[in-house]
Amino acid sequence: MMTMPKININEIKNWTINNFFGSKLNLLLTIFSTLFIVYIISSFISFLSSAEWEVVALNKRLLLLGRLPAEDTWRAWPILWLFSSILCSSIGAWGNPKKSELLFILLAFLMPAAIFFSMSYIVHISITIIIGVGSYFSSRIIKKISAIKVVMYLDTLKKILISLWILLIPLVFIVLLIGGGPKPNLWGGFLLNILLASVAVVAGFPLGILMAIGRSTKLPVIKTACTLYIETIRGAPLVAWLLLAWFVLPKFLPNFYGLSEISVVIRAMIVLSFFASAYIAEVIRGGLQSIPKGQLEAADALNLSYFNKMRIIILPQAIKVVIPAIVSTFIGIFKDTSLVFILALTDLLQVGRIIPEQDPKFFGKQIEALLVVASLFWIVSVALSNLSSKIEKNLGIGTR
Amino acid sequence: MKKKIGKEIISAENVVKKFGEFEALKGITAKIFEKEVVVVLGPSGSGKSTFIRTINRLEPHNSGKIVVDGVEINDDVKNLQKVRSNVGMVFQQFNLFPHLSVLRNITLAPQKVKGLSRVEANDVAMSLLERVGIPEQAEKFPSQLSGGQQQRVAIARALAMQPKIMLFDEPTSALDPEMIKEVLEVMTELAESGMTMICVTHEMGFARSVADRFLFFDEGLIVEEGTPEHFFKNPKEERTKLFLSQIL
Repeated sequence: MMTMPKININEIKNWTINNFFGSKLNLLLTIFSTLFIVYIISSFISFLSSAEWEVVALNKRLLLLGRLPAEDTWRAWPILWLFSSILCSSIGAWGNPKKSELLFILLAFLMPAAIFFSMSYIVHISITIIIGVGSYFSSRIIKKISAIKVVMYLDTLKKILISLWILLIPLVFIVLLIGGGPKPNLWGGFLLNILLASVAVVAGFPLGILMAIGRSTKLPVIKTACTLYIETIRGAPLVAWLLLAWFVLPKFLPNFYGLSEISVVIRAMIVLSFFASAYIAEVIRGGLQSIPKGQLEAADALNLSYFNKMRIIILPQAIKVVIPAIVSTFIGIFKDTSLVFILALTDLLQVGRIIPEQDPKFFGKQIEALLVVASLFWIVSVALSNLSSKIEKNLGIGTR
Repeated sequence: MKKKIGKEIISAENVVKKFGEFEALKGITAKIFEKEVVVVLGPSGSGKSTFIRTINRLEPHNSGKIVVDGVEINDDVKNLQKVRSNVGMVFQQFNLFPHLSVLRNITLAPQKVKGLSRVEANDVAMSLLERVGIPEQAEKFPSQLSGGQQQRVAIARALAMQPKIMLFDEPTSALDPEMIKEVLEVMTELAESGMTMICVTHEMGFARSVADRFLFFDEGLIVEEGTPEHFFKNPKEERTKLFLSQIL
């Protein structure tokens, strides 16, 4: 039996006095930090009491989808359904969320849902919720069945989910383009940020691995080429590369099926992928260097081929070491996608900047718009860093 | 126990290995025969580990000639693969793959290199784990095992490739004293089964009872070689005497 520790009032009193008022310095720090906290909270409360959210409420579609034409808004829903079903099944299949974590996940979904709720889409939103909850519980049930009976249902489910994650981006492209969809230049809002970041991560990660391995080899030509690639891309700001893609890239592409007039969005995706790959390469190279030489020698002594040695022995260990750094690179890339406004694309941040200027009655309401923009970025970033700590814990089992 | 020593399986002629300016091996000439157990002795820095690491080209030699089971070790990748498939190695630091289970550590190379199916490789692995006495640890990860158990897994991993020769590079030096015995028992059993073995070790009791021949290294050269009796009763060289007096 666990006994509740007795709460000793005197102890609390002593602790408080010692830690907050123990010395002159502590006293000073306590006073100043209290004043600071009170100031921040009171100004936030006074902002909230005078805040008017109409600027956000009238521009929900713009924030989420940018300039996507109204008749194409429906395309967003299948994407959301697909995403929520894959995401929720994955949480059920891999994760073992506690009740508090489930609550957090629910809140993370509800916050944007509350901001962007609209009666005209009540059916669509309900479908999303049903799909999400349904997918979560069905994959939980599959997990339980395979735990009781010795069946491989769970493995099959995981395989299907992994292939769905890989197929997700092409599927999203299909949904956006099918049946004469809008030009990619009209994609915008939060959808654009997420699309750009996903493509950059999915394309940049494998490329980054190749570059990291290339830079770590002893072969001089490959090593020099990879070093040159990484240092060139990291050596200039992303904005410069985006502008280069806008003005210069078309001149280098052959005029083949209109390739030289390739959409600005696609160009931004290419630039972001290259940019992400250079940073990921350096992170992974750090991981490669952390692998003891003995691992390579053991693999060599067992006569494993170079490819198998890298794929099975070195890379899994190297990547595991640098997961926090990889995820923080991903988060950085995700936030960097807001720089595409330079290419005249209307991403979430750009929408947040321009909507208060549309109408004189919204003048001075920038904070409301930007706060919503910031909270959307925040949700995704926090979700990613949570995912990273989960993966770390899951992989912890075989650590040295 | 008297076993029959077979034909020559490793021959090294005038092998030189340099690390920069430093000559770790200054011209080693040695022959190893099938089913022979050779213990390599010598003070630290004498080149004994470097020598056995040249045999599977973990350290490429700078000059001289090494032939293993009729295949010369050189830059030819095909030759190297033939040699490595015949030579198993056990390291001081075990070098198990920490992210893979014990079973997977052992089945990996048979599946990927020899093309065994998963079931076949599992059978091989389990019988080897029986042989080294830890079949119950198959599903664990290396970090969950004691040092002695890890080294026994490492031996099983090397044996799974069915090598003709086993190299042991100070296999007990990283172990706590109470775990040394269990590893030496496995090595003794292996020696009795007729495996060709080259061991760098400081375990003189083991060396005396198991070895057919000693090679004594100092400063990159073989100073003296002979049977265990020769070494313990009347070593010729002063350096050998000094070394033996220090470790016995």
